[in-house]
Amino acid sequence: MWKFIVRRIIITLPQILLLSLFVFLLAQLMPGDALTGLVDPNLDPAQIALQRERLGLNNPWYVQYYDWITSALQGDLGQSFRYKMDVTDIIAQRLVNTFWLSLLTLIFTYMIAIPLGITSGRFNDTFRDQMIVGYTYVGFATPLFIFALLLLWLLGFNFGWFPTGGSVQPGLTPGTLDYVLSKLHHLILPALSMALITTVSTVQYLRSEIIDTKQKEFILTARAKGASESRVYNRHIFRNSLLPIAALFGFEITGLIGGTVFIERIYSYPGMGLLLLESISQRDYSVVVAVVLLFGIASIIGALLSDIILSLVDPRIRIK
Amino acid sequence: MNELKLDVKKEKKAHRSQSGLNILWREIVRDKLALVSLIFLAVITTTVFVVSGLLDLNEIVRVDLFAIYEPPSENFWLGTDYGGRDIFGQLIIGTRNSLAIGFAVTLMTGIIGVSFGLITGYFGGQTDNMLMRIVDFFQILPFLMVVIVFVAIVPNYGIVEFSLIMTGFLWMGIARIIRSKTLQERELDYAQASQTLGTPRWKIMFGQILPNLSSLIIVTMTLNLAANIGLESGLSFLGFGFPERMPSLGTLLSYATNPQTLENRWWIWMPAAILIFLLMLSVRNVGEALKRATDARQRRG
Amino acid sequence: MAFLEINDLHVHFPIKGGILNRTIDSVKAVNGVSFQVEQGKTYGLVGESGSGKTTTGRAIIGLNEITSGQVIFEGNDLAATENKKLDVKRDVQMIFQDPYSSLNPKKRVLDIVAEPLRNYEKLSRSQEVERVADLLEKVGLSPESIFKYPHEFSGGQRQRIGIARAIALKPKLIIADEPVSALDVSVQAQVLNFMREIQKELNLTYLFISHDLGIVKHMSDRIGIMYKGRFVEEGDTEDIFSNPQHIYTKRLVAAIPDINPKNRDAQKKFREEVQLEYQKDYGRYFDEKGLAFNLRNISQTHLAALPEIGVVE
Ligand SMILES: Nc1ncnc2c1ncn2[C@@H]1O[C@H](COP(=O)(O)OP(=O)(O)OP(=O)(O)O)[C@@H](O)[C@H]1O
Ligand SMILES: [Mg+2]
Repeated sequence: MWKFIVRRIIITLPQILLLSLFVFLLAQLMPGDALTGLVDPNLDPAQIALQRERLGLNNPWYVQYYDWITSALQGDLGQSFRYKMDVTDIIAQRLVNTFWLSLLTLIFTYMIAIPLGITSGRFNDTFRDQMIVGYTYVGFATPLFIFALLLLWLLGFNFGWFPTGGSVQPGLTPGTLDYVLSKLHHLILPALSMALITTVSTVQYLRSEIIDTKQKEFILTARAKGASESRVYNRHIFRNSLLPIAALFGFEITGLIGGTVFIERIYSYPGMGLLLLESISQRDYSVVVAVVLLFGIASIIGALLSDIILSLVDPRIRIK
Repeated sequence: MNELKLDVKKEKKAHRSQSGLNILWREIVRDKLALVSLIFLAVITTTVFVVSGLLDLNEIVRVDLFAIYEPPSENFWLGTDYGGRDIFGQLIIGTRNSLAIGFAVTLMTGIIGVSFGLITGYFGGQTDNMLMRIVDFFQILPFLMVVIVFVAIVPNYGIVEFSLIMTGFLWMGIARIIRSKTLQERELDYAQASQTLGTPRWKIMFGQILPNLSSLIIVTMTLNLAANIGLESGLSFLGFGFPERMPSLGTLLSYATNPQTLENRWWIWMPAAILIFLLMLSVRNVGEALKRATDARQRRG
Repeated sequence: MAFLEINDLHVHFPIKGGILNRTIDSVKAVNGVSFQVEQGKTYGLVGESGSGKTTTGRAIIGLNEITSGQVIFEGNDLAATENKKLDVKRDVQMIFQDPYSSLNPKKRVLDIVAEPLRNYEKLSRSQEVERVADLLEKVGLSPESIFKYPHEFSGGQRQRIGIARAIALKPKLIIADEPVSALDVSVQAQVLNFMREIQKELNLTYLFISHDLGIVKHMSDRIGIMYKGRFVEEGDTEDIFSNPQHIYTKRLVAAIPDINPKNRDAQKKFREEVQLEYQKDYGRYFDEKGLAFNLRNISQTHLAALPEIGVVE
């Protein structure tokens, strides 16, 4: 098993290298370069040419790539042409927001999935189970962005229970309790709408896992020994089904990345996803490159995590 | 001998391949939900294609400043948008565009993915391993983001470019499925027999193995169609799909990013939202029914 | 020059492992096998499961890559020319063990049987139908079957379709890998007798692979007995059955039930003797790695893998 994990980690390194090459290539394809944002376009062309030479923009691509990747590794992702700030600083702010959004989404996801999955698996083919199965069925077919729009329309605008945009009410001082509560208030609806959709696969997985485990030998033994039904479920079956659920965790990360773009757009929540969309429409390409790179790395790590967790849980996949 | 030839047509009809398409068809007909979904899809598809043929596109996308944001009325069944453009007409054309691109992308990814999967799976070996690693890599990448960036940087962006970009990143899923099935199929005796009979390799791949993958391909492509409709509308919603002069269902939804429209003018985005949902749901219903039909263990009766 | 000559054939399969998935070892499925087959005769290849019979057959027809050695068919080394010389390939055909998986379920009988014809002969549609109908008739199926699908036939009928396909090009050598072991016992004899009939008719040469020494005895003129990728004994059918030399052969021969009641007692006695020798001397018949020794001549036609120092009897 260690072999599998080591091998899997070894694969990750060329993946990240490939990603950086890919992103670098994208950056080359984008109109303009590092200079476009920095200098006054009315400057003398000869001057600009001189600047280009000085910044190494005329070097062969592999030299440029090397320069880019080494500075990226040191945390220097260039300058934002629109904000006239270091890209790293802009991203740092947004990253925190997206982090909280993702964290709350994950919490909601499991808060929904675990009770529903257990109920559905334990009482399978009852009315309760059918309701839950119906929910997962609809949830699977519903695009996240449509659901999020509906929820915003209903709970945000019509009922007015939640704010309809932003990450915090303006005018509050950071650090105060009000500030924290306001942040939370702004987070709930985006996180909930994402969680309600992404949770359905976990619910389904947990349900079938529990239905499987129910029939297994050791459960029948535990029952025969006279353990109470809820004890059987809470102690034995649930614990056994939990690990496979953990395995889905890595996939959740990948899913969250796509989801945040929609969610942040719909709720005007200033996170990484919205940053990407804004920077693209403002042609702030150094930011775009940085965001894609970071999201790419996050996805690769997500895939790595799920493979490792899966290999701990299910010996069959190690053979691959 | 002559009698034999005369009977060719009749005999051909009398015998059908066992796990052929007609089994899939029977399964759909038996599954009420899938049947209703299929009929719904057929009706919607014909309607939007016929009606949009009758509608004048220029008329619909022409800005009419005297009729902006009109609620549903006799003139405009579903009201108008910020440019005074008829929503109902846009809905019809949008559905047509969404379906058309959904079909086109599904077909293109299907052709590329199936060919790639068949070829790499059949030849196997080192090249196959390397190609699969690369496919793995692209599958891990956050698809949405990469597509958005591509859409943003492609010069002369248009509908063809959009479908090519989508295809470029979406063929890999089906390629993997087909590859792993081909790896199994090529070891089966019938494929080995073909080799000993002197059949060229490309004929073994496309003439012998491919027919045995037909159900798998149909199921996968149906489920892909649902996903592609969702992806297209999502991208159009974000503004990285269809250009505005060619509305899709996602374009109509994108009007809802304006809070006033979302709050007060439901007629602009709600019908599109419902349509996307119903389309995806019905395609999935059909796909799931097909999947059940091919999955012997779940076969009913 | 022999019709088919196998010289020191090796077929090894790599075993992968380790962190980098390198080749760390190999399965020596065929590990130095030599024999010759005469035209028009049947050569039986016997051995327990995993002894490498199938791999030998598949290597000859080109389905498995040959690690080293020669397969000389009518003077051409098949291992060297590989796929280039198609005309040689059409003379060697194969009958597969499993009549269910060896026929493409999506193809009609016409397409199945005509597949080799389409590769080598340019026939018009009606000529093709005619040829296929003839072939089906030859294997005892009604010509109307040509538009049916494989699933509409029984196992025995399917195997006949497989045979029709194999003889469509009028090959000289047919490799039959356990052609009847997937069939009901009642159908086995039918198919076997039929195979002998067409052998005479078309002057076919068979490489007949089986784990059942009884069937091989019935079919073969000459027999090779395999164990762990090597031959332990080779000889004419008569040699093998009346004078088995290697302990492994003896056990196989002793295990064949004898139908003739007169021989029962002798058979029983022979079986007990073999069992005794097996327990006592088994190790002496194999080298340190448990592999058979090289073959040595017992008589003009008879070879056995006996240890250097003369052994029992
Ligand atoms: N493609 C392959 N890859 C790896 N090992 C293989 C392969 N084909 C066969 N082997 C191995 O080679 C050995 C010989 O197999 P083979 O199929 O030739 O035996 P056999 O005598 O035909 O047995 P059986 O009576 O079961 O058909 C076995 O140990 C088998 O596991
Ligand atoms: Mg075998």
